[in-house]
Parts: sequence; structure tokens; C-alpha cells
Amino acid sequence: MFERTARAMDDAIAIQLENITVRYRVPHERYATLKEHTIRWLQRRVQYDDFLALHDVSLTVRRGEVVGIIGRNGAGKSTLLKVIGRVLRPTRGRVLVRGRVAPLLEFGAGFHPELTGRENVFLNGAIMGLSRAEMQAKFERIVDFAELREFIDAPLRTYSSGMIARLGFAVATDVEPDVLIVDEVLSVGDAAFQQKSAERMQSFRANGATILLVSHNLALVEAMCDRAIWLDQGRIVAEGSASSVVRRYRGDDERAEAKRLAESAGPSLTQRWGTGRIEIVAVRLKNGNGEATTIFETGDTLVLEMDYIAHEPIPAPIFGMAIHRHDGVHITGPNTAFAGLTLPTLEGRGTVTYTVPYLPLLEGLYHISVAATNSNDTEMFDYHDRCYPFRVVRNSRVLERYGMITLRGEWEFTHRSGDLNNGESS
Amino acid sequence: MIHASRELVYDSARPRLALWEDALELWRYRDLLWSLVQRDLTVRYKRSVLGFLWTMLNPLLTMLVLSVVFSLFFRFEFEHFAVYLLAGLLLWNFFAQSTTQAIHNLLWAGSLVNKIYLPKPIFVVSALLVGLVNLTLALGPLALIMLISQHRFSPALLFLPIPMALTFLFALGVGLFVTTLAIFFVDVVDIYQLVLMLIFYATPIIYPVTLIPERYLWLVQLNPLYYFIQMFRQPIYDGTLPGAGLVLRAALIALVALLIGWWFFTKKADEFAYRV
Repeated sequence: MFERTARAMDDAIAIQLENITVRYRVPHERYATLKEHTIRWLQRRVQYDDFLALHDVSLTVRRGEVVGIIGRNGAGKSTLLKVIGRVLRPTRGRVLVRGRVAPLLEFGAGFHPELTGRENVFLNGAIMGLSRAEMQAKFERIVDFAELREFIDAPLRTYSSGMIARLGFAVATDVEPDVLIVDEVLSVGDAAFQQKSAERMQSFRANGATILLVSHNLALVEAMCDRAIWLDQGRIVAEGSASSVVRRYRGDDERAEAKRLAESAGPSLTQRWGTGRIEIVAVRLKNGNGEATTIFETGDTLVLEMDYIAHEPIPAPIFGMAIHRHDGVHITGPNTAFAGLTLPTLEGRGTVTYTVPYLPLLEGLYHISVAATNSNDTEMFDYHDRCYPFRVVRNSRVLERYGMITLRGEWEFTHRSGDLNNGESS
Repeated sequence: MIHASRELVYDSARPRLALWEDALELWRYRDLLWSLVQRDLTVRYKRSVLGFLWTMLNPLLTMLVLSVVFSLFFRFEFEHFAVYLLAGLLLWNFFAQSTTQAIHNLLWAGSLVNKIYLPKPIFVVSALLVGLVNLTLALGPLALIMLISQHRFSPALLFLPIPMALTFLFALGVGLFVTTLAIFFVDVVDIYQLVLMLIFYATPIIYPVTLIPERYLWLVQLNPLYYFIQMFRQPIYDGTLPGAGLVLRAALIALVALLIGWWFFTKKADEFAYRV
């Protein structure tokens, strides 16, 4: 499997996949026991379903590249990593990988609770394919990085899960593989440790290591990766610069969600009540261009339109709306009365419109409720409770990302005394 | 970056010479093998002072009980029965325990071999090496029992490494075979324990070979364990070297078992990642 001479590959190429197909053979029913399997086999009733996890995937990764792999669950991302990591032999096609491939293992994989931290470091290093001598040279640095010096000779079972995760990360990233595989495990430890982890990933890149990153965190993929591929149902649907692939994926994701949100919109019986003398018969969400949508960006214009029927003359009714975050937090509840607008006596059909010129909500999923009441708010005509979902997504105009809303406040800075060090004088 | 690995290229399309390459891979990963053996020995012996005693307690107690039962109740005339029993029990325990441990080792490694490439036979080999260390250590208490019962120490004892090595190879073959089955079917661990128990009673370990009637002797000789036990016990109990025929037959059985086990393991090893 290994060749001392690398004639098959160009020197600058770290990974080369040629028409990789992986087919899982899944038994039709699961016979987990030998007894059952033998009986079925004797009856010639073992049936298999074929499942294509990867379909004709070709990919070339050059040395030192950081490649993000995105896609929905079950798209084949993990299978792809396994094929590259030599864990899974492809059904068809050819894999060429230059050098040592090491994954960032999840917490505690390959650790033994009865062994001390020190013994576990050596065991883990050996699993990564390093010799004892090589590990000895790295040991001090690993212990320092994991910040576990005083516990290193205690059995691992006395460690907290955070300590184990730190030790695991420290070992995995210190073995300096030629290809590092990162599968959704960067959120280890506290903020300070995450900072250190990010720095170490950066120094990895700087040292020319090749990194494959699988993540659902699209912002991370955009920030870390030179290139990205988007897998869907075992095929590569897009490949290119990380930002362009992420943008296409996000667009597709939003379209899929918009469809789902639109399908779930509309009142059901449990979410709607009222006397019905005025009925709200249709609700539409639109953007500033008058297009119906359920996806907005922070700062967009949001227009809510309610079509109503007043079945009898109703003097001065009040129309209102409310926005809740998906977890139930009530964000706002404006209505026509608060706005000082007194409607005339209504009968028949009409439309009430509420326009938000600048949507201050940050990224998240929200639900709109609509209501019509009488003039002193004692009779509810019609109430649709959280029936109309919409999503706010991040954009490049608004960088804020903590909390729920942006206040569009302004920052100022006044300097009173002392020298300002701008980094130029020293 | 690692210099030695620089020029290594993994090519999934290259045809494999399984046995030879597996052996090479084991050598390449010898530090891991050593770490695994060390781990199992540490876990067993370091954490409790009684660790070694526990390992010996089982065969010693079995020997004690059986000696008493056979000599008192069955009026069983058998010189130095304790030595005879312990010799057989020790080799049996090595075989039974290390092949069982091999299964547990690979199941433990399941989450690992799903994430990172490792030569998978390493987990079976390490279990057997640990068993071999335990067997070697157990020769101490055996010598003690021989002293107490004033059994003769023969120069033939120097031959013992040969039967131990052959049993190791045989157990390796069996270990690879049952481990592969256990990956695919959860009930194999239980079935294997049942089979082991049957073979235990079918092998002359707790009773002398002479107890078996002449016309059933062929049945015993079908049992591969019979040869290994005989070969190991003869220098200890009889104080004589086992015959060349016996050794050759045992060697042949060990080789065939190893080849079959290794072939089966390698054939199915690529599917492990789909299963565990």
C-alpha cells in the first residue's frame, strides 16, 4: 500500500481522488447475531440494499491547501474523510495520499481511563503512528499546551471531560501530520483555549500542512479555508473558492428553508382564536422590493400585509402584530392604536400594511403573530398566534452578532492624556 | 513535519500481498504494539498489588479444588496430580483468555479504526503477547507447586519455549478468526465462551489421557488443543521431551490455523469500518 518512491504523484499534490465510488451494502433487515444470520442464510433469505455514499467523486488537493467540505447530514462528508484517511477502501476508484494522515479524534477516543495522562499521551502518539522517541521529544510541549502539568501523572479517570479534550487536542495537533483531518471538533475548551487552538491551526497552515475541514459552521469554513467543496447525496455539486461555494450553499439552504417555512405558514386551529366578526384571511411578508419572502437580512425592509373581511360594520377596530423569537421570547408588539391611527368603521374587505424600514433583528428564526381587536381591546376578533415564521441571516453590512437586535448606536472615542502608542513609535 | 513519512504514498489501487504486508505494517507500528501491551500489563498489575495474584488465583484454586475432589472422592490414584493439573490449566488459560481478550481489544478499538488507519491485527497480536507474558510469569508459581510436591525438575523443561511459541501461533490464528466473526455478529462472544467450555472438557486437562478408552482416542486426537497441551505438559510432568511426531503435528496445525485466521481476517478487514 505504501511506496517508497512517489512516482505516481506530482510532488505538489497531497491528495488525489480519482472517480471514487463507495457503496455500502446494508442488510435488508439487520441480522445482528450469527445464529439469526445462519438461519437466514440457510433459508437463502439474506438480502442487501445498496447505498451509494459517494458517487464518482474526483478531487485534487495540493500540498498546504486548506479545504472545507460542506453539505447536509448524510451527504457523504464523513465517508469522504474516511476514504482519504485510509479507513475505508473505496468500492471503485483510486485514492492517492502523500504522507501521514491524522484526524483530530473526538474526546477521549484512544484514551484509557486507568492509565495516567502521561501514559495516555504516549499511547495516543503511537496510535497516530509516532515512535516513542518522537513522542518523548514532543512530550513537554504537549503537556504545556494542554495546561495539565500538575495532573499528568494522575489516572485519566480523575480528569474532567474538558481536561481530556484539551489533552486530546494537544496530542493530535502536535503530531504534525502531513494531512490533518478536522471533523467538527474545534469547539473544545474555554475561550482562551479556543484562541490557542485557532492559533495552532494557523501555524499548521503556515508550516505547509494540508488541512481538510468538515463543518456546519459556514463562517468558520469561510474564514479558515482557501477552497471548499459542497457535497450533496454523494456527489460534488460545487467546488471553488470557499466564499463562493459557501454563498451558493447558503443560497440553496435558504431556498430550501424558505420553501419549508412557506409550507408551515398559516394558522392551524390551535394557534387561532377569536369571535370572527373580523377575520384575517391572508398574511404576506415582503421585502423592500415588494417580493414575497421569508428570508431577510438585518437592516432589510420588512413589509407585513394582512387581508381582512369585516362581516358586519365594526367601529374603529385595532390591528396589531407581534414578533417572537423561536424560543418564545416576545420581542415586539406594535398595533394601529399605539401608532395613534384610528381606523374608521370597517365593513367588507381590505388590507392593513405594517412596514419596518430597517429590520434591527440579528440572525435567527422568528415568528409573527397577527391580531384584530375592538377599539378598547376587550374583544378579540381574530388572532393567529406565531403562525408566520421568517428567518434573519447574517450579511456583510451588519457585523454585530451578540444578542437579538442591533441598536444602530454609534461609538466615539476621546483621548485625555498620556502618549498614544500606535505601534509606530516602538 | 515528519521526515520519514514524507515519501510514503498510500495508493488504494495497488494490489496487496496481504500476509507479508500485514507483517510489515506490524513492524512499522511496533511502538503502538508495545504501547498496547504495556497498557494492558499496567492496567492489570500496577493498579492493584494483588494483580498478579488475581491472575494466578483462578488456576490455583481450580487446581486445588479438583485435586481434592479427584483424590478424595473418586479415590483417584494419580501421582502429583496438582502439577499435572496446573500445567494443563496454565496453557489452557493462555489460549482461552488471550483469544477472548483479542475480541474485546478490537471492539474497544472500534471507534478508533473508524477514524484513523491502524493495522488491525495489532489488537489481536497485543492481546496474545499480554497472554504470553502472563503465562511466563505463571511459570513461577508452577515451579513453587513442583517444589512443594517434590516433583522432579527435568532438563526437558528447557524445551518449554517451543510449545509456548507454537501455541502462540495457533492462538493467533484462532484469535484472528473469532475476532473477525465477532465484528460482524454480537453473539459471537457468548457462543465462543460456550465452545471454549466444551473444548475444555473434551481436552485431557483435568483428567489423564489414560482415562479415555482406546476406541475413543481418535476423538481426542481430532481436537487440536490436545497436541499443544500434551507438548507443554510432557516436559513438566513426565520430565521427558515430546516426540518429534507430536511437535511436527502441532507445528503443522499452528501453521494452518494461522494461515486460515489471517486470510479470513484480511479478507474481511476492509469491511470493519462499515460495521464497528
